[in-house]
Amino acid sequence: MGPQPLTFAVSHHTLLRYSEAVAPSYNEVRMRPRDRGGQRTLAFALITSPPSVPRSRVDFFGNTVHRIDIGDLHETLGMAVETVVESTPPRRRPALRPWRRPDLERDARLEFALASPRVPLWSVTAGILRDWVGEDRSFDALVELATRIPNQFRYSTGATTVDSTIDDLLSGGAGVCQDFSHLFLALARHAGWPARYVSGYLGPTGELESTAGASHAWVEVCGAEGAWAGLDPTHGGHVGPHHLRLAVGRDYGDVAPHRGVYYGTAKAAAPEVTVRVTRMSERAARTAERGTALHWQQQQQQQG
Amino acid sequence: MIAPPGPACPPLPTSADECVTEGGRPRPPYARTLAAALADGSPLGGMREQAGAWFAARGITFGVPAAGDAAPIIPFDPIPRVLAAAEWRTLERALGQRVMALDAFIADCYGAQRALREGIVPARLVYSSTGYLRDLVGVRPPRSTHCHVAGIDVVRVDGAFMVLEDNVRVPSGIAYALVAREAMLELAHDWISAAGVRSIDGYATRLRRSLQRIAPRPWQASIAVLTPGPYNAAYFEHRMLADAIGGMLVTGNELVVHEDEVYCRHQGTLERVDVVYSRVNAEWLDPLLFRPESLLGPPGLIEAWRRGNVAIANSPGSGVADDKAIYPYVPAMVRYYLGEEPLIDNVPTYDISDDRQRRHVVTNLDRMVIKPVDASGGYGIGFGRLMDAAERAATAAQLDAHPRAWLAQEEVRLSRALCLAPDGGLEARAVDLRPFVLLDERPWVVPGGLTRVARDTETLVVNSSQGGGSKDTWVLSR
Repeated sequence: MGPQPLTFAVSHHTLLRYSEAVAPSYNEVRMRPRDRGGQRTLAFALITSPPSVPRSRVDFFGNTVHRIDIGDLHETLGMAVETVVESTPPRRRPALRPWRRPDLERDARLEFALASPRVPLWSVTAGILRDWVGEDRSFDALVELATRIPNQFRYSTGATTVDSTIDDLLSGGAGVCQDFSHLFLALARHAGWPARYVSGYLGPTGELESTAGASHAWVEVCGAEGAWAGLDPTHGGHVGPHHLRLAVGRDYGDVAPHRGVYYGTAKAAAPEVTVRVTRMSERAARTAERGTALHWQQQQQQQG
Repeated sequence: MIAPPGPACPPLPTSADECVTEGGRPRPPYARTLAAALADGSPLGGMREQAGAWFAARGITFGVPAAGDAAPIIPFDPIPRVLAAAEWRTLERALGQRVMALDAFIADCYGAQRALREGIVPARLVYSSTGYLRDLVGVRPPRSTHCHVAGIDVVRVDGAFMVLEDNVRVPSGIAYALVAREAMLELAHDWISAAGVRSIDGYATRLRRSLQRIAPRPWQASIAVLTPGPYNAAYFEHRMLADAIGGMLVTGNELVVHEDEVYCRHQGTLERVDVVYSRVNAEWLDPLLFRPESLLGPPGLIEAWRRGNVAIANSPGSGVADDKAIYPYVPAMVRYYLGEEPLIDNVPTYDISDDRQRRHVVTNLDRMVIKPVDASGGYGIGFGRLMDAAERAATAAQLDAHPRAWLAQEEVRLSRALCLAPDGGLEARAVDLRPFVLLDERPWVVPGGLTRVARDTETLVVNSSQGGGSKDTWVLSR
């Protein structure tokens, strides 16, 4: 018998308010879980208000993007995502091999070892890498970095914003998962490893039934063998079955859950986001999965 | 009747090597025209003013007026640039080859990326290029052509043409070439017919045909020329081209996307658009995907293109082949994609993000020209030769700190053409040439192009934004 899967129900609600009615608006959301390894999405629904028929595409990084156009005047746009995700713990901790630079130079994953808009590679982060792990470029050194970041910086919501830079974290000494992940990416890339940003949710651990709050972010690094391993520079260490992946990219800019443009002179308030992740019993999870299957079946029966 | 150059003819400055032999005689393609232009009673002396008035009357401007002034016109030099039929044939083939290779490279960047995997072009340069729009990987544009219009800047060094820069984002200048010809036909019709100059009138027809060819509904292609607006330096050109190809001239806020189809707001109605001839840089085309603050393109345009409901020329993402840091690898692209030897060379250029090449540049700075990789218009260019010790140190530090932002080229001696001096005499000024290439099923090069002239005898930068002027460019039919 392998490890038992855990199942989570995720409610991810976003409300956009405009100071006056706008139309039309065009939106792209990245809110469908991105399965990999032990993660499997059993059910997914995206409902908008005003109603729309979202269309989907897969972006460059393999994330599912839903496009939502609202043609009529609207003062608010609500997007409710309900998903059921199953997550199986890995059998063993990954250990990755570092790249030979000439191999990486001709590999598409080189992209994740270069600077990106929110992860510049400047001398200050190169200095931090040297101070913390010297010349060690092994996977163990990366684990050390992920462990070290939460000890060196204070986790504090409100210390930074969604637009903060690595410099803001370094000068203020405090930040959130997004900032910690960006700093880790800079250090890993200086060390010559392809490393990418992961957006997602953190499910309840231990005795907790559910967690409420915002989304989470962590990182994945890729070894020369081509495998990606997740590290969480906010909690310091490897990721587990409670890390539910949504999207991956070079940095936050590639995975932002919502991007939108609207016509009109209205001002948009900061989106109101609520996320709740609840542990589900095995039975409830199967019912949810069947429910989706049944729903699909019924929809298909309505055609000719 | 054209008089031969006689004793009345002033001595020709031999520094004008583009037009004059080492012996001080006009080069063969120039012989007839110079004889006529320099003969007694020639209208040459008054032609600059006449041309200026002619341009101003037609609203032909480059750039944005300072408060209260009229928009500036490009200073026009009435002595034409003349290319012999044979040298043009060679250049034409070379440019066609180059644009085919650039187009293949763009297709590869947004396809299998073979050249990157095989190390022909360093992947790091592509992945870090602002012109590489990764979200467009996998999109195949109509007819698989990306680079419909290219303007390749060439210079003549020691008699041979070399490419200085490839412009495939939104190359401008063709309208200035077209009006320069119109002005010359008005002012010196005799010279043109006597020399046997090939017509450049076919450009608009060819452009229209190649845009129609990529329309999703070719039987009723409605074409929109998308301009950033009247405050863009090349607005005159956008207006003129829209007229010439029978397209609508539109700004971003006049286009709207509905259910992945593109419409133009026109007198209260919406008119379907099939082809966008875009004069807006791709990163500004769609605020939903690229720069969110952009007002220059409608949200949803790229998805409409991705779904094949509208064609866009040049294909969004073509800018990757316009990146000056990638330019050094164009000859390698010609060999790789076409299996041919390049027919035209690059100016020797160094990749600053390569440590060895950067060291070479810093040690030999006095022979180098330093350019920012993603600027145009001749801004930010530095000549090592003219820097003092402090400036050299600052430049070296800059190259070390931001290697991907710079490129170094060996300073080459641009050929010089005879120009009418402010005092009415003759002087020699540096020139380049921007021929325009349309890529349809095969490349077509307009016989002529835009010859740009430095603003005075000392200057080596010819860009219009730097006060440079222009000349009519003649390709002789025989």
